[in-house]
Amino acid sequence: MQKHIISLLVEDHPGVLTRMSGMFTMRGINITSLTVSPCEQDGLSRMTVVIDGPDSVLEKVRKQISNLIEVVRVIDLAENRAIIRDLCLIKVHVRDAEDRSTVMQLSETWGAKIVDATLDAVIIELTDEPRRIDRFVDLIKQFGVKQLFRTGVTAIGI
Amino acid sequence: MRKEKVKLTGAEIVVEELKNEGVEVAFGIPGGVLLDLYNVLYGDDTILHILMRHEQCAAHAADGYARVSGNPGVCIATSGPGATNLVTGLANANMDSAPVVALTGQVLTAAIGTNAFQEASTFTITMPVTKHNFMVKRTEDLPKVIHNAFYIANTGRKGVVLVDLPKDVLATRVEVDLHQRETFAGYKPRTKPNKAQIKKAAEALANAERPVILAGGGVISTDAAEELRHLAEFLGAPVVTTLIGKGAIPEDHPFSLGMAGMHGRIYANRVIYECDALLALGTRFSDRLTGWQLDQFAPDAKLIHVDIDAAEINKNIQVDIPIVGDAKLTIADIIKSLEKKKRADMNAGKGKNLSVWVQRIKEMHSACDECIKDVGRTGSSISDRFIKEISAILDDNAIVTTEVGQCQMFAAHYYITKKPRTFISSGGLGTMGFGFPAAIGAKVAAPDRKVLDIAGDGSFLMTCQDLATCVENDIPVVVCIFNNCYLGMVRQWQELFFDKKYSHTCLGRTTDFVKLVEAFGGYGERVEKPEELKDALHNAFASGKPAVIDMIVGWDDKILPMIPPGGGLTGMIGTERCKNI
Ligand SMILES: Cc1ncc(C[n+]2csc(CCOP(=O)(O)OP(=O)(O)O)c2C)c(N)n1
Ligand SMILES: [Mg+2]
Repeated sequence: MQKHIISLLVEDHPGVLTRMSGMFTMRGINITSLTVSPCEQDGLSRMTVVIDGPDSVLEKVRKQISNLIEVVRVIDLAENRAIIRDLCLIKVHVRDAEDRSTVMQLSETWGAKIVDATLDAVIIELTDEPRRIDRFVDLIKQFGVKQLFRTGVTAIGI
Repeated sequence: MRKEKVKLTGAEIVVEELKNEGVEVAFGIPGGVLLDLYNVLYGDDTILHILMRHEQCAAHAADGYARVSGNPGVCIATSGPGATNLVTGLANANMDSAPVVALTGQVLTAAIGTNAFQEASTFTITMPVTKHNFMVKRTEDLPKVIHNAFYIANTGRKGVVLVDLPKDVLATRVEVDLHQRETFAGYKPRTKPNKAQIKKAAEALANAERPVILAGGGVISTDAAEELRHLAEFLGAPVVTTLIGKGAIPEDHPFSLGMAGMHGRIYANRVIYECDALLALGTRFSDRLTGWQLDQFAPDAKLIHVDIDAAEINKNIQVDIPIVGDAKLTIADIIKSLEKKKRADMNAGKGKNLSVWVQRIKEMHSACDECIKDVGRTGSSISDRFIKEISAILDDNAIVTTEVGQCQMFAAHYYITKKPRTFISSGGLGTMGFGFPAAIGAKVAAPDRKVLDIAGDGSFLMTCQDLATCVENDIPVVVCIFNNCYLGMVRQWQELFFDKKYSHTCLGRTTDFVKLVEAFGGYGERVEKPEELKDALHNAFASGKPAVIDMIVGWDDKILPMIPPGGGLTGMIGTERCKNI
């Protein structure tokens, strides 16, 4: 099993997402992360799809996705040839002043921002490589994570 | 580009654009949301609309029409049940890469998603069974959408395109430019093969001692039969086909070895196993062709795969020389490259002798030929004798369609197809009930030619209501039913692999097919012996009516040899009566 990041340039039409995901569904492949957003060209959008699966199967699916009429381009982004980012928002429980200051210090060290604070919780925002976010989340878990949101991966080839 | 601003309703735009695409025939059934469209079709004499009795048949007829004429077939169905009834037919055409454009009615745009009366999400339901589909939300988009529907259906790997048309989109009158030509940035079908790959392929073929050509549907859909025959003769290579490729080479040609695969001919499978170069043209290597032991599929061969769809390359079979391109253009380029090489080799005093291989091919061909001609041979069943009769009676231009089951495989084995687009069968989906409505489409495409459906008693009852369509519209197709009172193919598997437990496969003999066709106003006859078929067929064609010939065959006839489930090309069973060559 290998993680793949597939970047698609698609027509901004209703149903494109269903067509794309249908190709993975057909072969029983799970999409682990997905982002869709407008891009530099009017009328087109960009999708970044992360999937786990054997290389041979993914290559077949990639070709089938390229066949979709509304897909303009498909690129399989190698991890070492791309800038990869994920954004996460975490609401962390802070019991006392000591917890609060440790959480704030850790956030600063990791380049994360405190974007909101209440008496017993803070909300942290971190944009980074997914792997670093995984590590940060692990670290911060011991304080008690109330809620965790991640946008999913977006990536650009270099 | 022609630009003309005119004020038209959506329905008028659709019909205008259909005419602009050259559509002459449509098969359909109207309904509430299609009243505007049918209102425009009323009295129109450019487009012949044939009112079907079931939407599945409309889709199959469009499919049959497309396969015979080479032009896209058009079918029309209303929203909800009309559209869901189409689905089987669309999936069937798409699996076999037949160009079909389907128009479906839809509820008012404002009502979509509310479970309105006769609403079904046609757009999402048909997504996986079409090459592409459109849901039109604005009348202004119609010229572009209809043009693209035909362009996409009929280019690259051909297939089905559906256009979903909400009632208000058809009813609204707007000012539009007709005949817009804008297409999709991401859709660029590649037809011209890569030169370097052609050279590699030509080299591999020229160096081979036992070259074999496998012709699929791509050879037929690109009208490449002439080129194929030339290449085969040039190379001294036998041609085997897939079911959909049947007719790519005249099957009486000494280099033709017939259909390969699970229910294919033994020699066709044998040469795929033995060859040292395999040129596969326009085929997707379906499991019905390759069997399941892939190490028995051309194990010693340089595999050259030509397909217009890049996604088919290395999908089912790993190949050595992939070529993405149109079969016709590719064969022509390979021939050119081979001719050049041959001239060079001759000048250099080199040259290859394929006489041993060619001799062997000819022996295999005549063994098949003998088996086909000899009706009294031990082991001949009444079923194959009926097909042999049909083959002898029909002329080369006649079109044969088939249902699915033993009847289909008997036809594939024993019906000698001489020309492309004259053998029409459901390959990928294996749809019972396909043959008869496909015959309707075929007859509409080629009214001057004989059209005959080789049917099973089970299959025919799935779509026989469209006998009414034939009678009403004077479409005299002939259906020959292999009446074995069983779902024969399933029964055969039960006999061979499930201890003869005939679970729910006996259909009984109570249905009177002669009376059935007579009730519709057609001609019917029953025959018990193959010798009687000639007269019966003569009467059927002479009646000028749609006709059914009820042929009584053995309930336990089997179509053999075959590759058992899980087996490979060399593991055919039931080969006792085949000569060992
Ligand atoms: C719509 C559909 N349902 C079920 C099947 C499974 N099936 C394949 S062959 C067959 C039997 C066909 O019987 P018949 O038309 O009488 O042909 P025979 O095999 O007897 O010649 C069946 C049920 C199918 N192919 N298509
Ligand atoms: Mg039967």
